[in-house]
Amino acid sequence: MNLHEHLASAEAAIQAVKTLGDLNELETKLLGRNSPVGEARRQLGKLDPGDRPAAGVEVNRVTAELNRLIAERRGELTRVEENLLLADDSVDVTVERWTLSQGTEHLVQQTIDEVCDIFIGLGYRVEQGPEAELAWFNFDALNTPPHHPSRFESDTLYLDFGDPADEVLLRTHTSPMQVRYMQSHKPPLYVVVPGKTFRSDTIDASHLPVFHQIEGLAVDSGIVFSDLKGTLAHFAREFFGREQRVRLRPSFFPFTEPSAELDVSCFVCGGASASCRLCGGSGWLEMAGCGMVDPNVLDMAGHDSQTLSGFAFGMGVERLAMVRHGISNIRVFIDNDLRALRQFR
Amino acid sequence: MKVSLRWLADFIDLPDPDPQDVQRALNSLGLKVESVTELKADWSGVYVGVVESIRPHPNADKVRLCRVSTGEAPTEVVCGAWNFEQGAKVAFAVPGAVLAGGFEIGERTIRGVESRGMICSERELGLGSDHEGILVLDPDAEVGRPFADIVELPDYVLDLEITSNRPDQMSMLGVARELAAFYQVPYRIPPAEVAGDDRALRTSVRVDDVDGCYRFVARELFDASVKPSPLRIRQRLTAAGIRPISNIVDVTNYVMLELGQPLHAFDFDRLAKNEIVVRRARAGERLLTLDGVDRVLSEADLVVADAEAASGLAGTMGGGDSEVSGETRNVVIEAASWDAPTVLHMSKRHAIRTEASARFERGVDPNLPPLAAARANRLMMELAGGTSPSESIDVVTRAFVPDTVTLPLAEVDRLLGGVVPRSEVRRLLERLDLEVEGEDPLAVTIPTRRRDLERPADLVEEVARLYGYDSFPESLPTGPAGGYKDEQNRHRSLRRVLTGAGLYQAINLSFSGTDDLEAFAYPADHEARLTVRVSNPLNEELATLRTSLLPGLLRTLRYNLNRGSGDLGIFEIGRVFINAPWAEDDRLPYQPERLGFSVSGHLGPSEMGNGARPVDMFTATALWRILAGGLGLEDWKLESAAPAGYHPGRTARVMLDGRNIGHVGELHPSTAAAYGLEGRIAVGEMELTPLLAPVKRWELVEPSSFPAVDFDLSFVVPEELPAGDLLATTREVATDLCETARLFDEYRGPELGRGRKALAITYRFRAPDHTFSADEIADLRQRLVAAARALGATLRGEQG
Repeated sequence: MNLHEHLASAEAAIQAVKTLGDLNELETKLLGRNSPVGEARRQLGKLDPGDRPAAGVEVNRVTAELNRLIAERRGELTRVEENLLLADDSVDVTVERWTLSQGTEHLVQQTIDEVCDIFIGLGYRVEQGPEAELAWFNFDALNTPPHHPSRFESDTLYLDFGDPADEVLLRTHTSPMQVRYMQSHKPPLYVVVPGKTFRSDTIDASHLPVFHQIEGLAVDSGIVFSDLKGTLAHFAREFFGREQRVRLRPSFFPFTEPSAELDVSCFVCGGASASCRLCGGSGWLEMAGCGMVDPNVLDMAGHDSQTLSGFAFGMGVERLAMVRHGISNIRVFIDNDLRALRQFR
Repeated sequence: MKVSLRWLADFIDLPDPDPQDVQRALNSLGLKVESVTELKADWSGVYVGVVESIRPHPNADKVRLCRVSTGEAPTEVVCGAWNFEQGAKVAFAVPGAVLAGGFEIGERTIRGVESRGMICSERELGLGSDHEGILVLDPDAEVGRPFADIVELPDYVLDLEITSNRPDQMSMLGVARELAAFYQVPYRIPPAEVAGDDRALRTSVRVDDVDGCYRFVARELFDASVKPSPLRIRQRLTAAGIRPISNIVDVTNYVMLELGQPLHAFDFDRLAKNEIVVRRARAGERLLTLDGVDRVLSEADLVVADAEAASGLAGTMGGGDSEVSGETRNVVIEAASWDAPTVLHMSKRHAIRTEASARFERGVDPNLPPLAAARANRLMMELAGGTSPSESIDVVTRAFVPDTVTLPLAEVDRLLGGVVPRSEVRRLLERLDLEVEGEDPLAVTIPTRRRDLERPADLVEEVARLYGYDSFPESLPTGPAGGYKDEQNRHRSLRRVLTGAGLYQAINLSFSGTDDLEAFAYPADHEARLTVRVSNPLNEELATLRTSLLPGLLRTLRYNLNRGSGDLGIFEIGRVFINAPWAEDDRLPYQPERLGFSVSGHLGPSEMGNGARPVDMFTATALWRILAGGLGLEDWKLESAAPAGYHPGRTARVMLDGRNIGHVGELHPSTAAAYGLEGRIAVGEMELTPLLAPVKRWELVEPSSFPAVDFDLSFVVPEELPAGDLLATTREVATDLCETARLFDEYRGPELGRGRKALAITYRFRAPDHTFSADEIADLRQRLVAAARALGATLRGEQG
């Protein structure tokens, strides 16, 4: 058998081998001392010196080719055997054998964080104030007249504490922190204050006695009405989406002048549906109260209302979350039902 | 405030009566449109008809045959109503008409007589509930006109939210005035001339309480006939949400809605001695108010009385005794100016809120009474006939004159940023009917109806409002750089650590009850018993502020257990309130922030066939360790403790930097039972502030490249020695070299003797700069044993 024929039949034999063990045996047979290749190598010395170089080249070529074919086949068989082992090791991936649970932060907390992040980006700081507060900070310092209805016991929860002349209450809004912050800091002031607020309300689908607000205050020289508008418009677009339209609508608060409400275009109907469940057909959602800080408030907090100006705003955290997440019953925020909590990641 | 656009047309000619456009204008002016209701004619084929003749029905006693004409040949109909006579104008539904509710009018034969059409009642037209008789129209109604024209349909009613500083907008005139400023068109004040005679007035008015009443105007009307108002008046009142009663009473309400001045009408003949006295009530004085409630008054109440008794609560509600009734012939009209706080407190005290009190408590123009009284007098004469003296009574106890506010234009620029051109400012103010003098500063005369305009800033708002908030560009102030404080970043880290450990954040109400104090069996002097009480609680659940977060957390576990979520871990961050002065402001109660958690059922990994580890004390301490690790807290330890409400043998005091900051452990079984919880409950509560305090900055310790040496030691120790102490003490032998020290076995057995236990610890030592020699290892081992011996420990297998 010449080497050429040997190579042809060896190639078929290599491809026919099914296991690595058989391949090792075959390798000895094809390339060992007694193989046709081994035989041909031994015969080289017996050839005419003139024929030797050509015969030598041929022997080496066939040897190299056989080695290549065997290595290739060995690679293939190794993979096949490994795959068989891995197949034995496979499992049903849909079975939960072991788990680590991940909790969530409360939706109110997540909302507060998100709003604060937006204002941090605008150069604000974050502060918080006392929840049991003096009536002076909650009302008087905010320019609320002595006979304003909000002071009535039907709206405000008063506390039995300390000197009755001091009138301690559960703050009805986060606005008193405006005054505390202005008293203790020098302008420029840029601050947001998230926190709990309290009203004398029985719990129903739209009222809680304890809820959350975020207050904002900017006091600096040269602050103008457009700054208020730009700031809240920026917030609304960041929070509700860039495509939202916003408007300011004149309103009234004792501690701002001019005052406004921030409306955001309805993202359910965009104003197109007269019977929209979210906006009731008006096309707008009331999201925050705001205005230029009333000169009386600046003066009472010890700043000069003639040279400084500022704006303030306040928004309900639950309201922001309800509108954005389609929540119709505010009780969900205090029920702390796992099935609801785990939905907000 | 409900505003009918048809009615509004009496006061102003709007350039575009499209309700959408008016809504936009009102919103832009700050009168928020809450809703727009379309009033449609809910019928077709109804015309004004005249009853030309009436004859009896040949076969029936209870119905009549009426010939009704709508301008063409009369038709005959059968009618069962008797409240009209020949010549009456009626709403006539011709054959083919469709009435409210889809009721179609055909030609019918009633008891042998053909009836072609129907004379309609209010109810059949969907205009009201009256079905006693048919609707009789005004005598001057034009025969043949579509009936819808008569009742001003279709119409739109806009429900407006008026801000509390603008009582002047609580009227048709007030709304018209605003729209006139917006559209720059004129508005009209309704006529108020009274065709009176020169009779002397018979009523006397005395104002005893000058603090409560600034002005009292009275007018008299004699020989009036009290009857229902014409349909138009009734329709307008109904659209505004006010129930029509009789022409006299309706006029008082109608004029209030027109001008904003609440009015009252007395029966002249029921005022004792023809006297009206304004005074404070006597303590214990009684008054039966119009709502049928017999009220006991106090000296804080302001009343309008006759010579003998109170006949009404000033500006709030009239009394039943002097009320205008069907028998009334002679009327006294009251239009007064009341002190706003007095009315506010009175209406709150008696829990009465009326259209009148809603206006007076915000402040009605003190100079409006003369116009309103005259307008009412005129309308009453139109609707009820009678005669009046031309004169009126006008008692003024405090005169209000227009103020002047000086507005430098620079102030407008300073707040509005120069967006409104200076030349525009004056014109904008004048559009609001304010008189403006001077160039700069402007001297602006403020009418007495606008008591909200006191300072330059108030006028700046008017300028901005009328210029249009929508017309202002958006800008951002250039403030300093912002950022979170360390403690705020650590607050977030803390929440991430706990949610990462599988806990959910809860937010509970800040209240708790006395039940909670008992459930935790706090001793008498415990801080948690220093509760702060709400002085005006809505109910008992909202009466006491919480002194601990745990009750709320336990109730939340129970709430979820009831809904099938028994495996649950939750945490809360929030303030508690202790009845002691707060260091930050001693006028306020101490209100520290706390972190609390509670876990029930199972927490952590679960494997098929092997449930997750049931919750116990070790869950609580693990959570603390995770938290301390996550926040980089170093100098802490746990000590055995038995605080109220916790399991006395399975609770640890958390010591951080040598201070007790709270507890973690298992809930006491009786406390758990009090909240309806079974099994072991892991809980913890601690001060928040120390957790957020900054920690030292870490410096990298280069990981050693030399091999470690591990060895185990088993110590026999007294039962009461905590393993943590043994670990800590032995570690201190070579703090720098000891990489870890872990307890891997705890054993008790007879061979150890009573009161002793074995603790097996595996240590790993590694030096930063060399490989330990055998001698060094022997030395370390010896020093460990010596340190343990100081705590009463012996190496197991050795003799003590």
